Amino acid sequence: MSQLADLDSALAESAPLPRSNGELVFDEPWQGRALGMGVVALERADISLVEFSGFLADAVARHGYDPDEPAATAYYAAWLDALEACLASRGVSGVVG
Amino acid sequence: MSHDHDHHDHDGHEHHPQEKSENELRAEALEALLAAKGLVSAEAIDAVVSYYEHDVGPQNGARVVARAWVDPAYKARLLADGTAAVKEFGFTGFELNTLVAVENSPAVHNVVVCTLCSCYPWPVLGLPPTWYKSAPYRARVVSEPRAVLREFGLELPAEVELRVWDSTAEVRYLVVPERPAGTEGLSEDELMRLVPRDAMIGTAKAIEPESLAA
Repeated sequence: MSQLADLDSALAESAPLPRSNGELVFDEPWQGRALGMGVVALERADISLVEFSGFLADAVARHGYDPDEPAATAYYAAWLDALEACLASRGVSGVVG
Repeated sequence: MSHDHDHHDHDGHEHHPQEKSENELRAEALEALLAAKGLVSAEAIDAVVSYYEHDVGPQNGARVVARAWVDPAYKARLLADGTAAVKEFGFTGFELNTLVAVENSPAVHNVVVCTLCSCYPWPVLGLPPTWYKSAPYRARVVSEPRAVLREFGLELPAEVELRVWDSTAEVRYLVVPERPAGTEGLSEDELMRLVPRDAMIGTAKAIEPESLAA
């Protein structure tokens, strides 16, 4: 199981997890689910966090910045994009990136 | 791989009494798809989410240490079975298959390293500091621990036995520092503030209460 520390270090430079005062920030429950399903699915699909971090950085950049959108909402929306794209790139069928 | 927010009508029927956001629906749809592929299960996701929500850093460990200082029975449980003892606070984690608590005393000082990588008891200590993962610390704390501790500002008398614990994926260590003198009247919450992260790795001692007075 991926450690949070590993996740943080893999994402530190590209797209760090949203935190406030050191604690993870989730605006809504689906964001925690998105993080959890990503961690579980990447591990079971044997995809490294570093590989995923590239997809995540791309997705964050593509998502863009909207001042009206809370940071964690934007981040985890991009996270879903990245997870789909990453799994699709590995041919996990049915996932359209 | 491009993704341009295609707006699929997922199933066409209106069945949500309260409005769900597009993101929420996407997350649900992806989870259902990944579950169907056998890549996730609700239970596995729940476990991860629960750990991450409890990610509050070293104050978890400080709470454990403060309890051990005030409650000898708890300390005995902690030293006998660290994993079970921290679970009493709800601190659990797949990384904590075995948590071993090691106690400092006037005669023994413990310090923790992971010589292979950066194994760390994160459910009680949060994220490891950068130096913990650095190659020099990992190598030198084994070969010349006293010199390394001196660089952290910790000078140990020659007669103090130094024990270096090498973490693995299976076994993680938590140092229980010595309780500072003159703290008999402090509450558990006050004592927690005397337990910095480094004291639970073993590169520092607990904080003397007078140095907190400000």
